[in-house]
Amino acid sequence: MLLALKGIRKVYRMGDVAFPALKGVDLEVEEGEMLAIMGPSGSGKSTLLHILGLLDRPTEGEYVLMNRPTSRLAEDERAFLRNRFIGFVFQAFFLLPRLSALENVEVPLAYAGVPPGTRRRRALELLERVGLLEKANNLPNQLSGGQRQRVAIARALALNPPLLLADEPTGALDTRTGEEVLALFQALNREGTTVVIVTHEPHVAEKTNRIVRVLDGEIVADERRRHG
Amino acid sequence: MAEEKRIGLSLAETLRIAWKAIAANPLRSALTALGVIIGVAAVVALTMVGQGTTRNVTQLLEGLGTNLLTVGPAQGNRGPGGGLVRAGGPETIPLSDAYAIQEAFAEEVVGVAPVAQGRFQIRSGSTNFQATVVGTWPDFAKVRNAEPEKGSFFTWDDVTAKRRVAVLGYGVAEDLFGTDDPLGQRIRINGIPFTVVGVLPDKGDQGFVSTNYQVFVPLSTYLQRLARPEAGEAKVNTIYLQGASRDRLKDLQERLTRFLAERHGLTDPNDYDFSVANQQDALESVNATTRTLTLFLGGVAAISLLVGGIGIMNIMLVSVTERTREIGVRKALGARPRDILAQFLAESVVLSVGGGTLGVVLGLGLAGAVGRALTVTPVFSPGSAVVAFFFAVLVGIFFDLYPAWRAARLDPVEALRYE
Repeated sequence: MLLALKGIRKVYRMGDVAFPALKGVDLEVEEGEMLAIMGPSGSGKSTLLHILGLLDRPTEGEYVLMNRPTSRLAEDERAFLRNRFIGFVFQAFFLLPRLSALENVEVPLAYAGVPPGTRRRRALELLERVGLLEKANNLPNQLSGGQRQRVAIARALALNPPLLLADEPTGALDTRTGEEVLALFQALNREGTTVVIVTHEPHVAEKTNRIVRVLDGEIVADERRRHG
Repeated sequence: MAEEKRIGLSLAETLRIAWKAIAANPLRSALTALGVIIGVAAVVALTMVGQGTTRNVTQLLEGLGTNLLTVGPAQGNRGPGGGLVRAGGPETIPLSDAYAIQEAFAEEVVGVAPVAQGRFQIRSGSTNFQATVVGTWPDFAKVRNAEPEKGSFFTWDDVTAKRRVAVLGYGVAEDLFGTDDPLGQRIRINGIPFTVVGVLPDKGDQGFVSTNYQVFVPLSTYLQRLARPEAGEAKVNTIYLQGASRDRLKDLQERLTRFLAERHGLTDPNDYDFSVANQQDALESVNATTRTLTLFLGGVAAISLLVGGIGIMNIMLVSVTERTREIGVRKALGARPRDILAQFLAESVVLSVGGGTLGVVLGLGLAGAVGRALTVTPVFSPGSAVVAFFFAVLVGIFFDLYPAWRAARLDPVEALRYE
């Protein structure tokens, strides 16, 4: 098993008002799965993704990632797990604006302590993989939305993480480039990467083989199916 | 967790990232560094000029002669410089004191030079002007460091014979004779003819102790022909003494004071009609004054450096807020809090090292300019430049600790959500 959520609760406090974002979520994800987390906005699906990505801590419950309980980990250890085991793809790409495509892909490698030469080679490989080798030295603002998202995916894959988390990855793209990005995810999944996509678009969810539906902080449906 | 032990970014890499962030906002970075540049430049320039002034004064006073003691009018009657540098004032010291000192302190005093002086008309041919004429003994040359560069000082023989011979200050000789050789020439002081036997070297136009515009004649001749004739015993303005040993100058000063008090029949120090000044005292008091002034100005400059540090803090706080998103992304990609801390500290280190370096360079230029304006040669002390530089870097780091710490502990979720 790649990861397991056990009785996860998350309560946001705004002064005196407590807002429960997750009300006890249990979820297990096997290695090699490709699943979509669906739900309307405010359902708690993004919070769920942040917890899966070790960007946020649950108020209650345990998150086990690759057999490691994470609730007691120090910030440095969580940073290490994010670096090595999790790749993030965001709706708004979140490339670092002052760095070229190549340098953006190098960032996780740099934090992993990969020496510059190896780092550069690996980053070029990844850009080639997403078809952007010739744009390696372009700054993000010199790239189209689809190209930016492909750079972001290359960056997410830099350290070959077993888990790829995508938050509305096609939300800022037109249909065609959106399809290309999803095709890339499918290809990665076939190679063994576990992919979790948060989305509210049914056509995105259709590309996966498992759909987890979230409503009001709870999982209301968990549909597995053979991918067609 | 064993894998936890990773190095993360190298120092060079951290500095490169910092430089990129600084270069992305050149105007803002320059303005931020300006506070540090001005602060360091001010510290460096002020200490250099201050030390230059101290050295000037020291050289001036040491140019007066070494191990110098001065017997002058009583404390209340003395002009600036403690009677050491200006021998004006009333003629109150009996000449007989000079003889008595010479006899009583023969072992410890290597030179005695009583001085009586006044302003007189000097004339040679058609040139004439007022100058200070000093009547003294031959020891003056040694005691006051006034060996002629041409000819020689007058001798005891000249004093006993009351000869009309004169040693000219550099400026007087130049004004009277230009490029001609003054030796053997005739000049008139107050209409009385004198023969020039020596010319002193150029002691500089600056400073209140230059001998350039003085004329030296035997004391006996001076008292007889130039001083206003007065009834009673001969009196002088000042007696200069050169002690044999620097270490015992203080002791000699005290014993000399007691000796003169006894001679004058005085017991209460408040009634003393004379005073004995020590060159070392004057030197120390002048140095203490300039040191205090330098410290004070340096302190003001240091405060401006501190203000520069606050400028850095201000900008870094803004920068952390602006780059909340970047911090969130970097954390998502695996940056540890310490990586973020290092990144932001590196920025202020680069800023303050750059600012400090420019500040030292600017300070050198500034010291040169101020030095020219004040006719002081600034003394470059590597120590104070290094101290100012490292103080600037420390200030930069200190004032960036809080912004960097805030960046490091940003919650990644908050940071990613930040619009």
